[in-house]
Amino acid sequence: MPDLRVGETVQLLEISRAWLVDPVGEREGPGEIVVRDGILESVTWLQGDEAEGIGPGGVLVLPGFLDIHVHLREPGNEDAETVASGLAAAAHGGFTTVCAMPNTTPAADEPGVLARVAGAAAASGSPVELLAHGAVTVGRAGERLAALGELADAGAVGFSDDGSPVKSAVLLRNALLYAGMLGLPIVEHAEDATLTAGAEANEGLVATILGLKGWPAAAEVSAVERAIAILESVLADSPGARLHVTHLSTAGALDAVRRAKAAGLPVTCDVTPHHLGFTDEWVAGARRWAWEALDDAGAARDPWADGALVAHPYATACRVNPPLRGATDAAACLASLADGTADAVVTDHAPHTAVDKETEFGLAANGISGVEMAFGVLLAAVTAGRLPLARAVAALTVGPAAVLGARPGRRGAARGLVEGAPADLVVVDAGDRWRVTGDALLSRGKNTPLLGRELPGRILLTVAQGRVAYRDADA
Amino acid sequence: MNVSNAPTLPDVAWRQKHLLDVDVLSLAEIQLVMRTTDAMKEVLARPISKVPALRGTNVTILFYEASTRTRVSFEVAAKNLSADVVNIAASSSSVTKGESLVDTIRTVEALGADMIVMRHGTSGAPYLAAEVFAGSILNGGDGWHAHPSQALLDLYTMRAHLGDVRGKKVVILGDVLHSRVARSNVWSLTAAGADLWICGPTTILRGFDAWARRWAGGGAPGHAGFTVTSDVDAALRDADVVMALRLQRERMDAGLLPSLREYAARFGLTRERLAIAKPTALVMHPGPMNEGVEIAPDVAVLDRSVITEQVTNGVAVRMALLYLLAGGHPEAVTNA
Repeated sequence: MPDLRVGETVQLLEISRAWLVDPVGEREGPGEIVVRDGILESVTWLQGDEAEGIGPGGVLVLPGFLDIHVHLREPGNEDAETVASGLAAAAHGGFTTVCAMPNTTPAADEPGVLARVAGAAAASGSPVELLAHGAVTVGRAGERLAALGELADAGAVGFSDDGSPVKSAVLLRNALLYAGMLGLPIVEHAEDATLTAGAEANEGLVATILGLKGWPAAAEVSAVERAIAILESVLADSPGARLHVTHLSTAGALDAVRRAKAAGLPVTCDVTPHHLGFTDEWVAGARRWAWEALDDAGAARDPWADGALVAHPYATACRVNPPLRGATDAAACLASLADGTADAVVTDHAPHTAVDKETEFGLAANGISGVEMAFGVLLAAVTAGRLPLARAVAALTVGPAAVLGARPGRRGAARGLVEGAPADLVVVDAGDRWRVTGDALLSRGKNTPLLGRELPGRILLTVAQGRVAYRDADA
Repeated sequence: MNVSNAPTLPDVAWRQKHLLDVDVLSLAEIQLVMRTTDAMKEVLARPISKVPALRGTNVTILFYEASTRTRVSFEVAAKNLSADVVNIAASSSSVTKGESLVDTIRTVEALGADMIVMRHGTSGAPYLAAEVFAGSILNGGDGWHAHPSQALLDLYTMRAHLGDVRGKKVVILGDVLHSRVARSNVWSLTAAGADLWICGPTTILRGFDAWARRWAGGGAPGHAGFTVTSDVDAALRDADVVMALRLQRERMDAGLLPSLREYAARFGLTRERLAIAKPTALVMHPGPMNEGVEIAPDVAVLDRSVITEQVTNGVAVRMALLYLLAGGHPEAVTNA
């Protein structure tokens, strides 16, 4: 791929004999694309002899990914991540749009903070689109509603106190009522904090043996059920109210969303690559994929009995909120993508400094740096036959776009391979692998338990708004 | 060449650089610790109970939690082996100025430590220390997780009275949820093949019942299963050993127990309850005791109470562990 420099408009790019996935047209198969002067000029689906030998295990051309849940740490924690480093990392992960969470310092609870973040994105020169959620409450303190209307006017695409739940039920009710008037979702981090005070690892065998305080699934399940009940109660007064519950990690919470959707409630949800690919065994030192930790009956295996512990226990890179769960919950997260209960995959990209992670497990910050590894983890599930490729791509594109709502004029909202539109796409070599190392990651946050491991799916090129956002140096 | 009539035991090599938990020890290694402890007991019986085995070795005792029994036991053990002992209590160190654990370990190493005996309030902290320290870490207790020297001295004490513990009914009674002693004892006693029972109120058995169920069909390789119950009578029936665990007062505040009075009435080890066990049943407690709560004062002083013997054996076991970690061989103790 000559003459492709990061930041510049793609003059001419022709990719022949690739596997195309178009989640808008709900089509995948052999094809060719041509990008000229930043515009996706043609998409050609190949038939018959021309298609011979082209499969999903080779070069993939996909629409650019959308992540509606990342932490870019600016303003306030620029040593962990900046908008510029976060956008570069996003492009390396194939994302052409990311949506920043408001738990910065200060919190994005008024338009000035959003303007500062937007200014940093513009100054970075990255073609990756940056969206933002505003805070639900002032300072995320859970006491008074933030300036929701002003935040909406300034471009916020949703509201969240992520990092913690909206503290009181009455505030959650009022936020749903008010945000419904604005046509925006409340993005809820569902956790009953009374059940998780001091919690360190998923309640279960691993936490018991390691002597870590258990983090019960019920804390998430009950919070999701509460939020759904409150949503139902406000719809008569605020028909536009929408609830999105983020980073669900338990079968029970996903069941609650499944039931609410079946009842016609405006509820959406997402799951993360780490909750569907990793398990609490990783805290004990296992590193096998979640689907490899299930026995024939679908129950979680015992890593001690299996001799599956290969790394040191208590790796703080495995500490995250919600915690890595058991293999059955991880399987439920994966199944929720396949059956459509989960609308999106989000990375919950949470970069931290070495200082915040090189410490005792009980004192370490929660969070996994994930935006660069998300597609690799999903592709591992696809390769293992646990997830159709088309579902994985949809959960990174049209799924999250639908959560935000189709709003006319928003760039990249379509998330398809659309001829005549500015090119917004990712080129992946699904047959190649890459090693996750500190140097390979463009994020300042190196906090991932995947460090040192190979992932399938080398991302060769990311094009956003017709411009090169990332290209592999060797491609 | 050893030409005694004693049965020759398989010559097991000590493979461990650190001792962070007993989960990594095979039964053969545990038996090696027991044999080495025998030799140390013999040293302790001498008029001058000191050998030069660790001469020139710097043993730093780094305790982040208050402790008398364990800290002094390690200090005496190290001094009996002629080690140079440095004591660091975290409250009087730069830890209170915000120094990280990693920096503290590097500093202690730069000051010449060859081995660190470490006590920390956070589960897993010694694993972090072991990643940065060039020498050996001996876990002196971490959070709720592990207390390997305690479990090994408990096993040593049981064996001294019962011989092989295989098939013997051992009951751990009390607050296992917050107990590193209980967790390490699960590993050592299931490796030794004891019939282990764990008993307490359901609020503080949380997790252990699931662990026991998981191991019912065979646990980790080389480990037997164990039984968890809230039925004190069932647990104590015909027991060979009853080990009571300290109940901490703050557990009530956390809503885990209605009151100490109720706990003592339902789970306290009294003479009446002990009568359900075998007449010869050993009474153990890792200390410090809350007399009148988890153990009645008149039970603690019974002839078959081996609580003070646990303390004495603790020194010998810790000598053995320091000696093995320093690369010593059990048959060589007396000549060292």
